[in-house]
Amino acid sequence: MSSMGLLVVGAPRAAAADVEALLALLPRELPAPVVLVLHRGPHDALAAPLGRRCALPVVEPDDKDDLVPGRVYLAPAGYHLLVDKGCVSLSVEPPEHGHRPCLDAVFESAADSYGPRAAGLLFTGHEDGAAGLAMLQSRGGRVAVLGEDGEGGEGQEGEVERLSLGTVGAWLARLAYVPRAKVLP
Amino acid sequence: MSPGSPGAELESIEVDLLLEGVARQWGFDLRSQARPLLLRRLRRHLREERLESFSELQARVLHDGEALEGLLRTLSCTPPSLFSDAAFFRDFRTKVVPVLRTWPSVRVWHAGCGTGEDTYSLAILLQEEGLWGKCRLYASDSSEGLLADARTGVLPLPGEDDARRYAEGGGKAALGDYYTRDGNWALLQPKLRDGIFFTQHHLATDGSFNEFHVIVCRDTLLTFNRTLHNRVHGRLFESLARFGFLCLGRKESLARTPHVAAYEELEGTGRIFRRVA
Repeated sequence: MSSMGLLVVGAPRAAAADVEALLALLPRELPAPVVLVLHRGPHDALAAPLGRRCALPVVEPDDKDDLVPGRVYLAPAGYHLLVDKGCVSLSVEPPEHGHRPCLDAVFESAADSYGPRAAGLLFTGHEDGAAGLAMLQSRGGRVAVLGEDGEGGEGQEGEVERLSLGTVGAWLARLAYVPRAKVLP
Repeated sequence: MSPGSPGAELESIEVDLLLEGVARQWGFDLRSQARPLLLRRLRRHLREERLESFSELQARVLHDGEALEGLLRTLSCTPPSLFSDAAFFRDFRTKVVPVLRTWPSVRVWHAGCGTGEDTYSLAILLQEEGLWGKCRLYASDSSEGLLADARTGVLPLPGEDDARRYAEGGGKAALGDYYTRDGNWALLQPKLRDGIFFTQHHLATDGSFNEFHVIVCRDTLLTFNRTLHNRVHGRLFESLARFGFLCLGRKESLARTPHVAAYEELEGTGRIFRRVA
C-alpha cells in the first residue's frame, strides 16, 4: 500500500468559489502537499483571498521550491505549474486550451513523477484537465471529478468517481487514511 | 500493477536512451533539464513530427543534424513578443538605468535570448535612455537555429498588445518608430540589429566568456533541474562584475543557490538583484 504523496486540484475559473469551499475542507493534518491550479488572468492576486478559510497556508511558489506536506501551492499567474519529485517546476510555454496555467500540464506531470502516489481532483466545466486526469488514472493515481455537468472527467480509461461538495470531505478523509500494518500473531 | 504502468516505465527508458544518444552523438547534454518540462516538450515534438515513440525520434535524431536542430528548437523557450513583461522593463528603466548612466562603459549579457524579442526590447530601452553608445550588448543561446532567426532582425509584426506593453514599460516614443513594416513582418532598425553580438553559448556546459555589468537571464533557467540550475548560477556569479545587476524572471529566486548571500534584491522590483560581494 503506497501512501499518498501529493494531491493535485485543478479548476476552471468558474469554480473559484467552490475551490474556496474545498480549501476549507482540507484537514489540517493532511500528510501530503496540495497543488492547486486555477485558470486565472495575468494580473490576479488570488492567494490571499483563496486562503482565508483554509487551515493550511496557501502560497504561490517560486520555481524549484520544495513541496512540503501541509501546504497548498497555487500556480502563479502566467506560468504553467508542473511537479518534479518533491519540487515545483514552472514553465512559460505557450498557453494550452487558452490558459496558462493549464490543468492538463499539472495532472500529466503528477502522473509522471508520482504515479500511484498522486491523487487528482478536477472541477468540471472545462475541457482542460480531462486528458491529464485520465493519464493520472492510467498510471494508478486515485482520481475524482467534482461538479454536475458532463464536460471534463470523461476519461477514455473508464469510470471516474464523481463527487459533490457534500461528499468530497469523505473522499479526502479516505485519501489521508493510512491502514495500520496487521500485527501477526 | 495498474495497466498503464509498464508503458510509463518503457517510455521513461526510451527517453533516457534518447537523451544519452543525443549527448554522445552531438554533445548536447539534455539530461540535466527539468524532467517534467522536458517530457512535455518531447511529447509535443513527437506529436508535431507524427512519430509513434521516442525510439523513432532517437533513430532520426542520431543520424540527421537537421532533425536535431528541430528538436532543440522545440526544447528551447522563447518569449513570443516584444516587451513580454512590461513590469520588468519599467523596473529596469527606473532602478538600473540611473546607475548605468554613472558608469563609463557597460557590458550587458542576455543569456538565453532565443529568437531575440527580449534582446531587441532591451536594445530599444537602452537607446531611448541614451546609453546605446556606451553599451555593448551580447546575446547568447544554445540553439544556432534560433540565433540565426534573431540575427535577421525580422519579427512577426507587433500588435496592439505589444505597443501597450511597450508604453507600460515606460516607452518614450512609439513602438512603430523602431521598425519598418513588410507585410506581416517588422524589420527592426539596422542600428539596433548591428549593435548586438549574437553568439552561441551553452549555459549548461560552456564557461564564462567575459565580465559583465548587467546579466539578463529571465525564465531561461526554468528548464534546468536543480543541480544544473545551481551550477549555472555559479557561472552567472563569476561572469558578473561586483555591483553589477542580475535580472531574473518574476518567479525565479536565488534562495536555494550557493550565492544567495552575495546578492541584494533591489527594493520594489520583480527579481532584479545586485551583486554586493
